[in-house]
Amino acid sequence: MSVLPWLVAAWLFGVGVYGVATSRNFIHLIGCLSVCQSSTYVLLLSLGYRWKAVAPIFYDHPPGTLAVDPVVQALVLTDIVVGATITALLLAMALRVDAKHGTLDPQELRPLQGEGH
Amino acid sequence: MSPRTRLALLCLAGACLTVPIWKVAQALPPFGAPTGAYGPAVNALGPPLRHVSNMVSAVNFDFRGFDTLGEEFMLLCAVTGAVLLLRGTRGESLADKAGIIPGRPRERRADATILICRIFGPLTLVFGLYMALHATVTPGGGFQGGVVAASGLLMVYLGEGYETWRKLVRSRVLDVMEAGGALLFAMAGLSPMLTGAAFMQNVLPLGAFKDMLSGGLMLVENVGVGFAVAGGFAMLFLEFMEETRALKSETQE
Amino acid sequence: MLTQLIPLVVVGPMAIAAALLALAHVLPRYVPDVIAIATALGLSAFCGLLGAYALNHGPLTYWFGGWTPGRGVVLGIGFGVDPASAALAAFVGLLFAAAFVFAWGYFDEVHAHFHVLMLLFLAAMVGFCLTRDLFNLFVWFEVMSVSAFALTAYQLETPSLSGALNFTVTNSVAAFMMLGGVGLIYARAGVLDFEALGKVVAGAGHDPVIAGAFCLLAGALMIKGAILPFHFWLSDAHAVAPSPVSVIFSGAMVSVGLFALLKLALQVFGASADSRFLMHGLFIGLGCATSVVGGLMAWGQRHLKRMLAFSTIAHLGIMLIAVATLSATGVAGFLFYAVGHGLVKGALFMIMGILLATKASVDELDLKGLGKDIWPAGIAMGLGGLLLGGGPLGALDTGTRLVHAAAIAIGPLATAAIVLGSALTGAAVLRATGRIFLNLGPDPGDEAEAPSQKDQEKADRPLWLMLAPCLLLLLLAIVPVDGAKLIVARMAGVLASPRSADGAPPLPGTSLVLPCLSIGLAIIIALLDLFRERLPRPLVSATAGGTQIIFRGLKVLHSGLVGDYVVWIVIGLATFSIAFAFH
Repeated sequence: MSVLPWLVAAWLFGVGVYGVATSRNFIHLIGCLSVCQSSTYVLLLSLGYRWKAVAPIFYDHPPGTLAVDPVVQALVLTDIVVGATITALLLAMALRVDAKHGTLDPQELRPLQGEGH
Repeated sequence: MSPRTRLALLCLAGACLTVPIWKVAQALPPFGAPTGAYGPAVNALGPPLRHVSNMVSAVNFDFRGFDTLGEEFMLLCAVTGAVLLLRGTRGESLADKAGIIPGRPRERRADATILICRIFGPLTLVFGLYMALHATVTPGGGFQGGVVAASGLLMVYLGEGYETWRKLVRSRVLDVMEAGGALLFAMAGLSPMLTGAAFMQNVLPLGAFKDMLSGGLMLVENVGVGFAVAGGFAMLFLEFMEETRALKSETQE
Repeated sequence: MLTQLIPLVVVGPMAIAAALLALAHVLPRYVPDVIAIATALGLSAFCGLLGAYALNHGPLTYWFGGWTPGRGVVLGIGFGVDPASAALAAFVGLLFAAAFVFAWGYFDEVHAHFHVLMLLFLAAMVGFCLTRDLFNLFVWFEVMSVSAFALTAYQLETPSLSGALNFTVTNSVAAFMMLGGVGLIYARAGVLDFEALGKVVAGAGHDPVIAGAFCLLAGALMIKGAILPFHFWLSDAHAVAPSPVSVIFSGAMVSVGLFALLKLALQVFGASADSRFLMHGLFIGLGCATSVVGGLMAWGQRHLKRMLAFSTIAHLGIMLIAVATLSATGVAGFLFYAVGHGLVKGALFMIMGILLATKASVDELDLKGLGKDIWPAGIAMGLGGLLLGGGPLGALDTGTRLVHAAAIAIGPLATAAIVLGSALTGAAVLRATGRIFLNLGPDPGDEAEAPSQKDQEKADRPLWLMLAPCLLLLLLAIVPVDGAKLIVARMAGVLASPRSADGAPPLPGTSLVLPCLSIGLAIIIALLDLFRERLPRPLVSATAGGTQIIFRGLKVLHSGLVGDYVVWIVIGLATFSIAFAFH
């Protein structure tokens, strides 16, 4: 099925968003964000794939062999670094929230509203 | 919104999106038959123009090196932010935080663990260095090598214990490593401008194809990125580890 | 020669930031502040120079790595310095310089981390404005976001770190959506340069992939630009961030997000009938709704920083209306509006910072009457409120009039939304000014017992040092800029079609009716609020019932829970797709 990778990417994003929306623990929420992110990896890498092509490393194969798209692989590499850094930052924030409020439940944590006339 | 309302709305919105997603999926080029010209052009031009065999590194550090510069500095931001968050409430000075917390059980590590870590820790560090240096030849690069090297440090912790690890891994050194690596990368981009070339134009001698020292400026950038990433991730490990030293009663308000 | 130095606008601040970080432990106390201010001012001046050069000689292009196009496919990353982008980048630099002056002596520890993060934030914003490569746009979007996350969570004593978490999670989802959009359009086009992409889109006709890519990219940029229903994170982020950082968020970051949407809509998706349909239809509606909802929420707030955040959201709605018309008048209006609004909002957030530093509170009711000894700040705040409400002075006013001129073609609904949004936000700020500095208004009584945050920012900075950048920004905001309309019209023309050499269409003349209506409404609403007690009872209770229902409904929706925000994002995306069903 040639649409399967795209549907997998969409499904992963949906499942990740579902997890974030219904999460009861911030660490779980951060994991669900990673799932959302992996949907973009699947999409990008599948876009570059070519049947019967080798990896774009011409060490064992001579240059000129049919190879997959290296540009999307480079984009995904950048994407992975982005994901790792945001995860680290979010985990640090989660630690601070736990220390301050004693809970990691996103549904319990509301920034103070402060309305009224 | 109550959890049920939220779930209902989410399912409704998701249902609305299924038809467009299906349409887009059908309209995309079929899997395995991409139509773009960018990838094949890079594959065709990389080896003759830059004498490198790793096309992904060529894209990352030459064709689209500017993106990688931005990404490197984003890593710097995130590590700085995480360090500020964690170090800020704990306080900077490590001097009065004991390597051994009184009252905590000290489990003896198994001899097998210590042996394996003593063999594989330095091996991992060397492997990371190998990956970073051979960026232009075989799969790998500064980012991958830097992360592997940083994880080698974790093996040192597993094998030697926290006290020794803290003596070995100093946050000042890591700070300088991280910032220095990023600065090296930026300088590698700026220096070609002094010779009248464009930013990050590959003006160094390109070396021989399939040799470790190929790719010219790419190698310098990789070294910079390797240092920065290793320093950054080691810093993160250090800060998160230090969190385990702070007793619960100290951090609760 | 000037073109050769273009990379310095981005790499300069980044290299300086790295150097500051490396030398953080050895630098004396105020050296990072001086370096940061100098960098921001130098950057602003250089961007202004580039913009002026581009205005006279045509847009400049710079290709990184020496990869000039010419092998059939655009292989490298380019920067497209057109006058509008350079002008906006110059404005951003100026705002940063003012924020650095305001933050002098703010942060106790001497390690310069704040300056490092802010300089990287600045570099990212300038790169975001100037780039002509889609993935490069994403990279700068990410650097902007990550430095913003780190800066928001900076103030560790704040009671609401969960605000920073909401900000981070929603903007991360935005980044994933943007990456999805980049992937989709790369699949179709096989190239990432704006101009090349525009050519492919022009030849593609009705393509679901391109429509899908536009939806995802627009959605991501509207999350960054805080448009309904993606706007929830802004108020939480502002409630948490330190004041110098809030100045940048509301003054520059969100407007720059909408500017990127404008550039993409003009240069990449300009020929796509699908994107044009969405912009002229749904996005204008969303802009109107954002303006009204933002205004209502701002009016109903007692936490001053959240009030200003909601007023920013309202003004962003107005800016989206200008962007969505895709006409020269609209684009010119957007440029004036973004600069004017940024100056005024920056000044107002600095006043918030002054209140936090001197009075240790940003609750309007708590601060009642306490502002008498810092009366210069009161004058500044009143002026800011008048300008927000539609006062006929300066860049914000010129922008508003141009936006009205562009909106007339749409219908009375857009005009009404713009007037209502400005009036409500102006009224909110004027009411707060009256209450804090003139001790007007009813006695709070029971309401003062309601929970509010005890906030404090560093107290021992001299008042004149905090007030000086604030007054400078306001001064720049009231400078009459009608004379610059011709230049900005040319900028708008170049932005729409960088290659064509057509003259710019003349901008319409504008009347004084709508600004007077708006500012009049603002003053009346503020006075009604403050003198509630003196009004006849039946009038008060009649209106109170209606307004209470609206407010309660809106407040329930603005719950502060990150799960809700993510669901709203998905609902927004679904709305885009439903709109296409009516195509």
